[in-house]
Amino acid sequence: MFRLSPLRLGTLALLLAAATGAAFASGFAGLEMLTEILILAILVIALDMVAGFGGMVSLCHGALMGAGAYAFAMAGLSLGLPVWAAMLFAVLFTGAVGWIVGAICAGSQGIYFIMVTLAFGQMGYSFVFESPIFGGDDGLAGLARPDLSALGIDLNTSRAFALYCLAALVLVVLAAAQILRSGLGRALVGIRDNERRMRALGLTVWRTKAHLFGLSGMIAGVAGVLAAQHVMYISPGLLAWTVSGEALVVVILGGLGTFVGPIVGAVAFVVLRHEVSAITPYWHLVVGLILIAVVMSRANGIFGFVEDRLSRMSARRAARAAAPRGEPHDA
Amino acid sequence: MDFGFWLFQTLNALQLSMLLFLLSVGLTVIFGLMHFVNLAHGALYAVGAYVAATVAGTVGYWAGLITAPLVVAELGLLLYWLLIRRMRQSGPMAQVLVTFGLIFVLLDLTRIVWGDIALGIEVPQALAGRIEIGGVTYPVYRLFIIALGAAIFAALALVLARTQIGAMIRAGVDNDKMAACLGINVERLFLAVFCVGCGLAGLAGAVAAPILSVTPDMGLQILIPTLIVVVIGGLGSLWGAMAGSLIFGFVQTFGAVLLPGLASVLIYALLAAVLILRPAGMFPARG
Repeated sequence: MFRLSPLRLGTLALLLAAATGAAFASGFAGLEMLTEILILAILVIALDMVAGFGGMVSLCHGALMGAGAYAFAMAGLSLGLPVWAAMLFAVLFTGAVGWIVGAICAGSQGIYFIMVTLAFGQMGYSFVFESPIFGGDDGLAGLARPDLSALGIDLNTSRAFALYCLAALVLVVLAAAQILRSGLGRALVGIRDNERRMRALGLTVWRTKAHLFGLSGMIAGVAGVLAAQHVMYISPGLLAWTVSGEALVVVILGGLGTFVGPIVGAVAFVVLRHEVSAITPYWHLVVGLILIAVVMSRANGIFGFVEDRLSRMSARRAARAAAPRGEPHDA
Repeated sequence: MDFGFWLFQTLNALQLSMLLFLLSVGLTVIFGLMHFVNLAHGALYAVGAYVAATVAGTVGYWAGLITAPLVVAELGLLLYWLLIRRMRQSGPMAQVLVTFGLIFVLLDLTRIVWGDIALGIEVPQALAGRIEIGGVTYPVYRLFIIALGAAIFAALALVLARTQIGAMIRAGVDNDKMAACLGINVERLFLAVFCVGCGLAGLAGAVAAPILSVTPDMGLQILIPTLIVVVIGGLGSLWGAMAGSLIFGFVQTFGAVLLPGLASVLIYALLAAVLILRPAGMFPARG
């Protein structure tokens, strides 16, 4: 069951403080990196919701993010909606797409689920790639950031934009925690642990899965809108399956189903990529080896490993404290 | 759109199908026999193409065609001892992730060894040029690919249906625990099948090298079509791999000509439909 333990809350607070500090202290390059981390963190929270808590390992979250970005672009460029309305439209649209994909895939298990979501993701990619209205291979340019000048904030500076993304991440974390704590979220964890039992209890399993996938899609849509506003340009590459694969790598690196872990993973991934790319052009070799090592070590990512160690330590301490009373015949 | 057009496109579709068959047959039998998902299969194909290109450049095309499968099979053996042996008991997600990591590693290793520049190799003298069949002129080399794919299919079908090792593989796919109880060393059988599958991926790379340019990401590009073939056909089945390859080849080729812009969407829609209506594929190996 989902619980915000003191360790998780503490890590979240620490991450928030670090991000706020970084937003005010760093220069342009640091701010770009921070923004990248924040957007990736939103995407992997969405993925962890379904993969970690629902057991639905999705390889289409990159495509969902891309759908959000394209929906935002099309709503602004073709429908002429104002920026805020376009953002709302994009998030709702991605949620609807996620719901449909989740409803269709709800019956598939294990490797088949991975394959179907991969197929849907690639379908979206080819559709966008081959349709001239989406600009095809060239992508779409000229996307707008929201105008916050009424509040005295100019979002066209990278510092303001990083803080804006941070605010979005905080909202997403609160929303995701609320969803996972609700009856729906508990039902999802129940399905992950024992689908037949949940069905016997009278739950409509496919509907729960579809709802959660839709909510996760909305969060992925938020990441897509922010990604589109960040570079102010989008291309079909956003929807490629390798983006979904990388998101899954980040979740695994941080700790699947730990809620906070994926955010830690996003920080580690972006920083690592930045540092390794500075030394060698073969960054994928390094991340591939790390991924293999993490999966083969059977630890649940960085955060999962720490959490596991700490809980084992406190269990040992509790056992030691209870020991004198536990051995009465020794005295 | 006369007869020549249809014949020409049919030959194109067959050639694509046979290339995909060489790749998917190894993947599907590995999958069916041991429930192991090897996403790095496409990367092995790229390695095969590079080995073939290198050997063809120094010794000759035919030497490359023979060397590539052997080198890639050796590589498969190495991967088996280092990684896959330990991953056998893990869930599908761990396997997907480890082999996904392997894609990254192999991709960069090929870039380190061969560089980023696309390599090309010449079609051998004996297979160069075009011949006329049924009113269309068609490159001989592409006909060679079709013949090679068909020959490999026939050989595999014969081995699976008529030999003792074929019977053991079928028993392993059908029920590996029972097969092990009957005294079949399923693990060694898997190793053999895995190496042959990897070798076929290398062969596919060598065969594809003269018609596609050899680049580090060719493995990534072919992976998704191969997975689609395997899933449409049904996991673990030789006939399924052939059927899936033919379906993919024909839908892709004729879709591109008759419904441009919708061809790939058509393929993915077909895949989604198959997965929803017949989750085990069209010709699953187990009943």
